[in-house]
Amino acid sequence: MPKVTIDEKVVDVPEGTNLIEAARLGGIEVPHYCYHPKLSVAGNCRMCLVEIEKQPKLQIACNTKVAEGMVVKTQNPRVEKARRSVLEFILINHPIDCPICDQAGECKLQEYYMKHDLAVSRFPIEEKVHKDKAVDLGPWVMLDMERCILCTRCVRFCQEVAEVNELCVSERGDHSTLTTFPGAKLENPYSANVVEICPVGALTNKDFRFKCRVWFLKRTESVCPGCSMGCNINIDQNEGEIHRLTPRVNEEVNEHWMCDEGRLTYKPVNQKNRLRFAKMGEKDLHPDEVLRAVREMMTGVDPNLVCGIGSAQFTNEDNYALASFLKELGSSHLFYHRFEPAHPSVDDYLIKADKNPNTKGVSTLGFKEIGGDRRFKFFFVLGALPEEALNRIALEQQKKVILFNPWDEETVHYADTLLPVGTFAETEGTFTNCQGRVQRIRAAFPPPGEGRPVWQWLTHLTRLFEKPAPNYTTAPALFLSMANQIAAFRGLDYEKIGNQGMLLKG
Amino acid sequence: MEFTPENKKKIEEILKRYPEGKVGRQAALLPVLRLAQEQFGYLSEEAMLTVAQVLDLSPASIYGVATFYTLFNKKPVGKYHLQVCANLSCCMEGAEKVVKHLEEKLGIVPGETTADNRFTLSEVECLAACGTGPVIQVNENYHEKIKTPEDVDRLLEKLR
Repeated sequence: MPKVTIDEKVVDVPEGTNLIEAARLGGIEVPHYCYHPKLSVAGNCRMCLVEIEKQPKLQIACNTKVAEGMVVKTQNPRVEKARRSVLEFILINHPIDCPICDQAGECKLQEYYMKHDLAVSRFPIEEKVHKDKAVDLGPWVMLDMERCILCTRCVRFCQEVAEVNELCVSERGDHSTLTTFPGAKLENPYSANVVEICPVGALTNKDFRFKCRVWFLKRTESVCPGCSMGCNINIDQNEGEIHRLTPRVNEEVNEHWMCDEGRLTYKPVNQKNRLRFAKMGEKDLHPDEVLRAVREMMTGVDPNLVCGIGSAQFTNEDNYALASFLKELGSSHLFYHRFEPAHPSVDDYLIKADKNPNTKGVSTLGFKEIGGDRRFKFFFVLGALPEEALNRIALEQQKKVILFNPWDEETVHYADTLLPVGTFAETEGTFTNCQGRVQRIRAAFPPPGEGRPVWQWLTHLTRLFEKPAPNYTTAPALFLSMANQIAAFRGLDYEKIGNQGMLLKG
Repeated sequence: MEFTPENKKKIEEILKRYPEGKVGRQAALLPVLRLAQEQFGYLSEEAMLTVAQVLDLSPASIYGVATFYTLFNKKPVGKYHLQVCANLSCCMEGAEKVVKHLEEKLGIVPGETTADNRFTLSEVECLAACGTGPVIQVNENYHEKIKTPEDVDRLLEKLR
């Protein structure tokens, strides 16, 4: 592996590494706009100029590969002067509309200006070249051409990742314009990723525009619940309202991207019809009252009439708690249901046909798909399921359904007892994606009203039954118990899973 | 809109010069766009879509290339397309005055065509004849050292 010296620091990096990445490995940030680790090198922004010993001119770090014994300077006066000049050039026609720009606060122009330039503009504002300000590029993306620095990251993303070439730079010089073919739209299923890779405020997300200043957003690491791929995401919220989901890097799962469909999965969390209180019939009840009523209802019931219906939409922890609870009651009848869209979108990259984040997990825990066994009378159900699914296992019988659900929906009128629980954004736990990777989701905020995790409801209920399990105080503790009981999870814990996930055994 | 059978044959010949696959088809784009302009007169959006189909490239990538080069006309042009080089060397020799005189004489600005459809005026990028500027390319022919209003008048006279 070549040894290079960057700012007096010797770094050992793999052959073929470029100087931006080499510096990164040494803990040094070389400023750049057009370079992106997942895209081909364009070398057009010139922001990453560095000095290389024995080379007369400054070189762009993005397009220079390391060589044995290379000595690189990224912060001497010559480099700093070049950087200032490049930045001044890039900013010549910049409209300076930061107060109304959604990118403000996470804008590389602002960041680098503060860090590397801080000079007063020599270019009179009234002489700036004006361009179009709100160009509708497609269902997700709005373009402000005045803010665009023509780095072409978005063009390359469409070519190389989405593989559709929907964008191009037309004209030349200061007429250069980012555009689609006239009349065409930027509408590939991954289109909104161009918003995150845009280093400036040129491309903004129509779903997020003018909703919230980014410095008010709190970020929580999570996993997209939209399909069985389990793309790693950040939940960006303010005061319990989610404003956007953005992809989080996981090279083993989604690299740097997520699909547009997945970005919508936060909408139901913000919905008005959240279930806030426990209900029996039409009546809101105190949690203790409801649990006592369930306890009473279940007294003397033949365990063979009781079944648990887990869900591929719920976490491993929630499903495992349900399984443990049923085991204590003496029932081992565990089924699960999946949400099945009528026309599932699918491709051979990140969009999977199975629109459930935890099918692999719930089946690993021993739940079986709902079949035609009709002997049951008492159902503990995670999440609303189509009545048709319930009927399949108990058609003519008088049923008792205890449903754990985040929403107060018309469609769940079959439930006698409703217990409010959190959505993915309000839940601590794990999903197992289609690769068998166990990944953590984290609660961005607590569920509304009396909502609490399934396992917490079941722990309380268990106490009323005076049974030992489940008896958990935290999600990590529950996971440990699961790891002890279920062979596939053995050896895993929250610490090890971290924010990149771990594969199941076998 | 379709290429003539002869032009289709020519496109096949052009493609043979380049490697197979997308890279080769991208390389063939410029000569094929020239053919399209020759046949259709100018590169309308429809013409670009035809090229996109023939070369199996995205319309956007063709739009980017077609609009980059001033030698491709995106609008119909008159009988004589006066393309005045507006780059540095020609401007130092007086190209700006030449354009001004043409504007007055023809009553149009760059990008426009005269009502009788005889002249289209354009400012173009370097024509690679810096030693003999200012240069006006009329259709496919160079007219060099057009420095004074009189030079312009003489040229126009020839084209009347």
